[in-house]
Amino acid sequence: MLMQENDASQRAVGFDTTVTPNMAVAFHVQEHTRGSNFTMLGPQLNFLVRRWNMPDGQGNIFAMTGAGTTIDRGDMRPAVWTGLLADYETRRIFFSYEARLMYAKDVEKSAWQRARVGVAPYLGRYEDINTWLMVQVDRYDEKHLSTHHISTLPATDVTPLVRLMYKTFMLEGGVSLRGKVMFNWIQQF
Amino acid sequence: MRSILIAVFSLIAVSASTAARAETIVANVNGMVCAMCVTGIEKSFRKVQAVDAVKVDLETKKVTVRTKDGQSLDDATVTKTIINAGYAVTGISRSR
Repeated sequence: MLMQENDASQRAVGFDTTVTPNMAVAFHVQEHTRGSNFTMLGPQLNFLVRRWNMPDGQGNIFAMTGAGTTIDRGDMRPAVWTGLLADYETRRIFFSYEARLMYAKDVEKSAWQRARVGVAPYLGRYEDINTWLMVQVDRYDEKHLSTHHISTLPATDVTPLVRLMYKTFMLEGGVSLRGKVMFNWIQQF
Repeated sequence: MRSILIAVFSLIAVSASTAARAETIVANVNGMVCAMCVTGIEKSFRKVQAVDAVKVDLETKKVTVRTKDGQSLDDATVTKTIINAGYAVTGISRSR
């Protein structure tokens, strides 16, 4: 799976590959743009902690953890991050909650939370473009460990967005209530 | 004697023809909600040597697998393939 995320806080690209039914290995490169521009990259392990398969839906809990480096104005510093993602989805409704903690030595420590609620206006078949209308709420709590990093973005932002899925490709786009554009895509192989 | 031989050869011919026929297996599956689920299950079955074709129907929540001529696929393999793709099997039926 290849993915790219672009929003007010980051530009990221990642590659995930499943190694067992419950584990995937990923490599992510992320450019943080919340006023303090630095790049973070490294491998990440994603674990499926629990899955509920129901007649009309599926619920999941995933855990992820990674370690790598930040590149801040040419200086490299170690970084670690960990997170949890819970979701529940039917063909009609979608809920998710994600929380991540990140520590980059001498650069930043931060917590990020994201909740999403979505609804499909019609039930698409496999051959159709499936449309989802969603609202995303992001919350950032960060402490800059370097004096030249100052966050210029609000701690909380709300983004209405549209998700389009066609077979193995997913595209998301939206504009936050503060006017910030987000654009994500995922290609599954 | 001649009629017995004809009957025996007919029986052998019918048995061989039945054994060489492909089998259609239908599994009822829980947890499938999106196009990516369909792709994941299809991809898993394409790796199974005995499988000729697979079709996943989100509406009916059924996975239909056709085996290659003369090959079979037991319930345990069908179930394991679907579980490893991330879903749950609630029932399996077969036809030739």
